[in-house]
Amino acid sequence: MYVAVKLEDGKCTGCKLCIFICPEPNVLKFSKEVKKVAVNEGRCKGCGLCVTICPKEALASASIGN
Amino acid sequence: MNKNLFKISPGFEDIMPAEYRELVHDGPYGKNLGVSDLGTFKELLEEHPLCAGCGLALSLRLILASLPNPEDTIIVGSTGCSSLAFPQVGVHNIHSLFGNQNAVASGLKRALKLRFPEKTKDVVAIAGDGATADIGLDMVMHSWFRRENIATIMLDNEAYANTGGQESGMSPQGTVLYMAPKGKKFPKISLPEIAREVGCAYVAVGSPAQPRPLEKMVRRTILVAREIGPTYLQVFCPCPTNYKFKPQETVAKIKQREKEGTFQTREYITLEAQKLLTKLEEGKK
Repeated sequence: MYVAVKLEDGKCTGCKLCIFICPEPNVLKFSKEVKKVAVNEGRCKGCGLCVTICPKEALASASIGN
Repeated sequence: MNKNLFKISPGFEDIMPAEYRELVHDGPYGKNLGVSDLGTFKELLEEHPLCAGCGLALSLRLILASLPNPEDTIIVGSTGCSSLAFPQVGVHNIHSLFGNQNAVASGLKRALKLRFPEKTKDVVAIAGDGATADIGLDMVMHSWFRRENIATIMLDNEAYANTGGQESGMSPQGTVLYMAPKGKKFPKISLPEIAREVGCAYVAVGSPAQPRPLEKMVRRTILVAREIGPTYLQVFCPCPTNYKFKPQETVAKIKQREKEGTFQTREYITLEAQKLLTKLEEGKK
């Protein structure tokens, strides 16, 4: 079982706090057009640092794959 | 660095790895990007083998994003956790023997001054606490005594983390680790104060809990080293694997230590460096 972070739609306000706290490069990407964060689950190690910092509770750790 | 060096020749785009293509098209070279732009460009660090929630990986990521001139920066690394990440870094870097990073960096800086007298090339020694404060203290101190124009950055995880968790000179007194079951007998070395007394033009202690102040410190460390003399930056990056806390608590741990008074963010700037920084920072505005 692998753990990765999942983004709940509609809750992200684009404050980018999660991007500054993630130890992995290029996991959380910021889209300038919609001003929101997108998650690249394949690169995430599931440490959960972004979950603890998100003020809107838009991120949650979830298991992916089998 | 000439940008044409890493550009892909026409016709070979499709056989190059996706990560390389991204670095060529969206990399930060020559764009003057900083920590605030993270997430919008391809970072200089690629997927690394460090543990989940690693404070060192987070610090390294922020340091690489703060480099004022990444295309003309050469990083000298040393053995330790950080050396596991350096093969994945998109900046020129050299791996030196354990503790030799400042000696290698001194020679490199002198050679670059002779070879490219008209260009600005930054040499930055980035190593762990074992390589900077224990095994390499001799080389680090002597590069400061000689007033070499190199920036020294220590990623202080307070242990020898990738060899099973032995105590280092930077571990706080009383620390119990996997390979230090009786607890450390003597206090943490106060290397920033030593650096100030030795004559480093700029000395700072930061942490990845405050990304923007850390970026400022990294930039100041490199800019002062370029013009005046040796500089030292110590970045506190807790290790969840050896200090036995959950990976999501890395930043909370820094804040807790700040509250307890066992970790302090601080800066020591000489008058000469202060003048230079005021001039540079005013010119930017």
